[in-house]
Amino acid sequence: MRYMPGSGREYRSSPLSFNATPMIDVIFLLTVFFMLVSRFASAESVKMLLPEPDSSEAKTVKLPERIVINCRPAVPGSPAAGALYSIGPNPPESLAMISQRLAALQADRPDLKVIVRADRRLRYADVRAVMREVARSGLEMIHVAAHTARGE
Amino acid sequence: MMTPRSRSYRETTSAGTGDRDVVHFRPRRKRLPPRRGMLTLNLAPMIDVTFLLLIFFLITTTFDLPEGVLASKLPRDTGVSVPLPLSPIVIRVDPAGPEFADYTMRLDNASQVPADFNELASMLEEIQNRPGFDDETPVVIMAGGGVRWDHVVNCWNAAVRVKYKNIMFGEG
Repeated sequence: MRYMPGSGREYRSSPLSFNATPMIDVIFLLTVFFMLVSRFASAESVKMLLPEPDSSEAKTVKLPERIVINCRPAVPGSPAAGALYSIGPNPPESLAMISQRLAALQADRPDLKVIVRADRRLRYADVRAVMREVARSGLEMIHVAAHTARGE
Repeated sequence: MMTPRSRSYRETTSAGTGDRDVVHFRPRRKRLPPRRGMLTLNLAPMIDVTFLLLIFFLITTTFDLPEGVLASKLPRDTGVSVPLPLSPIVIRVDPAGPEFADYTMRLDNASQVPADFNELASMLEEIQNRPGFDDETPVVIMAGGGVRWDHVVNCWNAAVRVKYKNIMFGEG
């Protein structure tokens, strides 16, 4: 029994009920939002700090025949300690091994494109070593990964 | 006398020994179960699944910056080197500062030293407008081995921004 001021009488209130409709609306909106913005990390991309140029001209392109070479610091937080190189998600390999594999892949797939993903804190000498190996394996083009401009 | 619609009502009868009040009790009306065959939507499993999806996406979503690529041609390691048809624009970048985090930069074709990469892009654009230079003029980035990769990519990006087509790397 509840007393309603001003009504001058008591009345029997209806049993409490939970209106789930607004909650379902919000949950649906959140779910759709996260489904749209989620981009599942590519298995070939190792987590690292990519170069972030001012007014970046880097473009997102789809390269069907591609190979990704990841270069990341051998000792995290100490880029001068050298780099670890790996093809896609594979464990780190020596540059000589990467060069051999590149040459074999290039013989099978002439349209192969190479993307070099290098940590921005690395020294140029460490990345240049990879670029030399790519050139040595007979590939003409190289694509360097960098962050695109914000908002693109 | 109360109406028959109320919970209980009184009725006066005159049969037998005289007038008598009979109170009929009408039990409270119970909610009827849904009729057989009536369609009902059970929302509970849907809400369960939606919650699971929401939690999954909340946990797995990471807001990373999108990444793209800057394309360039590599010099062939074999063959005979040929002289460049045009006098190239040379950007020299060298390491400086503690742990080579900083850099020094200069353009061979300009007396002024660019303060940052935006100024480098402006100077490259100005050179492009000079007679004898255009967007086909080769741009060579001569970077020291100790320079951070970030600075080299920034130089490359500055040249791409002002639409140079032949950008290459040289040994610093």
